[in-house]
Amino acid sequence: MTAIIQTSSGLKSYLDGKGEFEVIAGRTVFDTLVDLNIKPELIALVVVAGEQKSKDYVIQENDIVKVMAVIGGG
Amino acid sequence: MNGYGGKILRVNLTTGKITKEQTPIDVARDFIGGRGFGAYFLYKEVPRGADPLGPDNKLIISSGPMSGLMIPGAGKCDFTTKSPLTGGYASASMGGHFTAEIKYAGLDSIILEGISSKPVFLFIDNDRVELRDASEYWGKGTIAAEKQFKEKFGEEFQVAVIGPGGENVVSYACINHDFGRQAGRGGVGAVMGVKKVKAIVIHGSKSIPVADVNAYRVAGKALYKACKDASFLQEWIRYGTTVVTSWCDEVGALPTRNFSAGSFEDGKGLYAPVMREKIVITDKGCFGCPSPCGKYSRSKKYGSYVEGPEYETIGLLGSNLGISDIEAVAQANLLADDAGIDTISAGNAIGWAMECYEKGILTSKDTDGYDLHFGNIEATFDLIGKIARKEGFGALLADGVKKASQKIGKGTDKFAIHVKGMEQSAYATHNATAMLLAYMTCDVGAHHNRSWAITYDLQVGRDLVVPEKVARVIWLQNFRPMFDVLGGCRLQWVELGIERDLYIAALDAITGIHRDWNDYEMVGDRIWNLTRMFWAREIDGFDRRYDIPSPRFYEEAPESGATKGQITKIEDVHRLLDMYYEQRGWSKNGLPTSERLASLNLSELVA
Amino acid sequence: MRLYVDNSKCSGCNACRVACSLNLFNENNPKKSALLVLPHFPSPGVYEVKVCTQCGDCAAVCPDEAIKQNAKGAWYVDFEECSLCEACVPECPEGVMFVKGELATAAWKCDLCGDCVDVCGTSALWISEKENAVA
Repeated sequence: MTAIIQTSSGLKSYLDGKGEFEVIAGRTVFDTLVDLNIKPELIALVVVAGEQKSKDYVIQENDIVKVMAVIGGG
Repeated sequence: MNGYGGKILRVNLTTGKITKEQTPIDVARDFIGGRGFGAYFLYKEVPRGADPLGPDNKLIISSGPMSGLMIPGAGKCDFTTKSPLTGGYASASMGGHFTAEIKYAGLDSIILEGISSKPVFLFIDNDRVELRDASEYWGKGTIAAEKQFKEKFGEEFQVAVIGPGGENVVSYACINHDFGRQAGRGGVGAVMGVKKVKAIVIHGSKSIPVADVNAYRVAGKALYKACKDASFLQEWIRYGTTVVTSWCDEVGALPTRNFSAGSFEDGKGLYAPVMREKIVITDKGCFGCPSPCGKYSRSKKYGSYVEGPEYETIGLLGSNLGISDIEAVAQANLLADDAGIDTISAGNAIGWAMECYEKGILTSKDTDGYDLHFGNIEATFDLIGKIARKEGFGALLADGVKKASQKIGKGTDKFAIHVKGMEQSAYATHNATAMLLAYMTCDVGAHHNRSWAITYDLQVGRDLVVPEKVARVIWLQNFRPMFDVLGGCRLQWVELGIERDLYIAALDAITGIHRDWNDYEMVGDRIWNLTRMFWAREIDGFDRRYDIPSPRFYEEAPESGATKGQITKIEDVHRLLDMYYEQRGWSKNGLPTSERLASLNLSELVA
Repeated sequence: MRLYVDNSKCSGCNACRVACSLNLFNENNPKKSALLVLPHFPSPGVYEVKVCTQCGDCAAVCPDEAIKQNAKGAWYVDFEECSLCEACVPECPEGVMFVKGELATAAWKCDLCGDCVDVCGTSALWISEKENAVA
């Protein structure tokens, strides 16, 4: 069971320059980020199908999970 | 001059004389425009020791080469003056459509000088420039006043207007435009108000000259394509700056109860999806912007329309006051906008007052009978109006937290959250040393726009005090405000992450002058040093003491929230400053050296 | 083929109007554009965009036959032929036929170049086939 994580541009350095990564479904966003070596506290926004989710959201099969870090800020 | 309106408009309000001069090529070369023009004319023309509320102070209003062009975010206008709030440099950046109209009227800057004997508004229609009687508008809120100007002159006129806050010379009065944009900070509205200028009403239909039209059209379209292809464009449009509210709460950056903590236990009612669902009706943008961050809203509870609240207002008029209802924050936002006072400074002032009350330092006898506990929504609404009218308890708060706490004494200055007299914007910095340094060294006071480094702090280690952090803050301070100098918005680069070199192609084609980002950053460095010299010139004994943050951030660890028990050490505050001054090429006491000034060609100007 | 707009997506940015003036006149001047962005603020707080629907009513009344069809089938003004008589202006149901002698020596209107669509960040504008094509 797999899903996709899509990251905002500022996080590419964590994924070897890629903006998209295939992950195993069934785990929380939080745990998945830890596995990808992305500190969960860097992520400001998690969106699945246009809706904001918390980092406790359990990723479902075929989900496209967008995670955004606010690098530049306000 | 390609990319420019071409003329500087001077309005002497004392004599009524109106003149125009060619925009000086050498000033455009060395200072570019926007905030750069503001800094140049401020230093050069406002005499040392000028009373910010006197006839010698000037309000310098400037567009830049980006303004009014087909470039994402081409809609920012700079307002520079000597600040009645801090006594130092003030520069506020206003979005919307005003800056574009300045260019279409064949202008680059409008400089207001002197003081009018009676209320006037400045009317500009292409080459026709007149001072007109404003008595029928004086006293009106900004919303009603702008509506009236638009009905009288037409929608194609852009309006910048003050409210009762500016008319009553509140230290942090702002200037309003387009039913929701402000030149917010530092009291630029107070300067306009003391000069008795109610509004500037402007229309222009000239073309902006461009060096290479074909190359400009290609480069401009490439910028828009990059924005439209940005992976998080939809999310940014959906939430705007409110996208960070929940995250700031999570990481301890959300100002809570007068910055006593960085997380708000009742914060969920303020989060972006709640706000979107409850009140947002239109995604409203500034000139040329493909990623409109304005969330134009209608509160059903209060029946009012307002643009916002933006993150800053959610922080300072929401969590900072212990208020958890987004509709109440929207209403407070509207009241502040209509009154024409800065929501950030007002939220700090009211938060300070609430802490005084909770500590028993002020009682209801002092607060006009209000039970000024954190969370008191009705008192917040009323105080906004009282501040704008300098009425009752509002008069004390209208001076800002630094002066208010000096007046009250009793240790209240320990929790007046400001730097250099300007109240801190909405990031709690108990344990985030790059962001703390950003607030300490920002050139107008405690504002985040020059350097925003919270994610960076989390990435590399919140409490780390290392040269790399300082270098990062300095780079951001030289680079980010270049958008204010260019007369455009930084948020397309900042939030959408588009390639910044795309701007170079467009700016080269527009101006006919090739500059890369190193060249622009050098201009940023020049302006930074010039405005530092302005502080040193205007404030007796100006030195590193003015860069020290509120003791709240080095003496009082939060008792709750994500940063519970965490605090920066005062030794680290000084270490950060030592490294900062060294990297800036300044003396150990924080003043630019003559070598530094010479390297930036500033020696003659600051002699 | 014609331009369409979803008003609910318009943010009022006016990038479309700058792109339009650059296409029609090679000039950076939204006052010389062929679409209108009308703000309705403070209430109800929405933007209303007027675009050319390519109805052809302007062409039908032009005494100089100055309004012609281009390769896309869109009506455009041949600047050489226009006498600024303004017969077309009141015919336009959308108010997007422009005659302003102080700004240009001919009338101007939308020629369906599509540049406005390219610079619209919220995708409020698009071009497609006319929904009810009249033979």
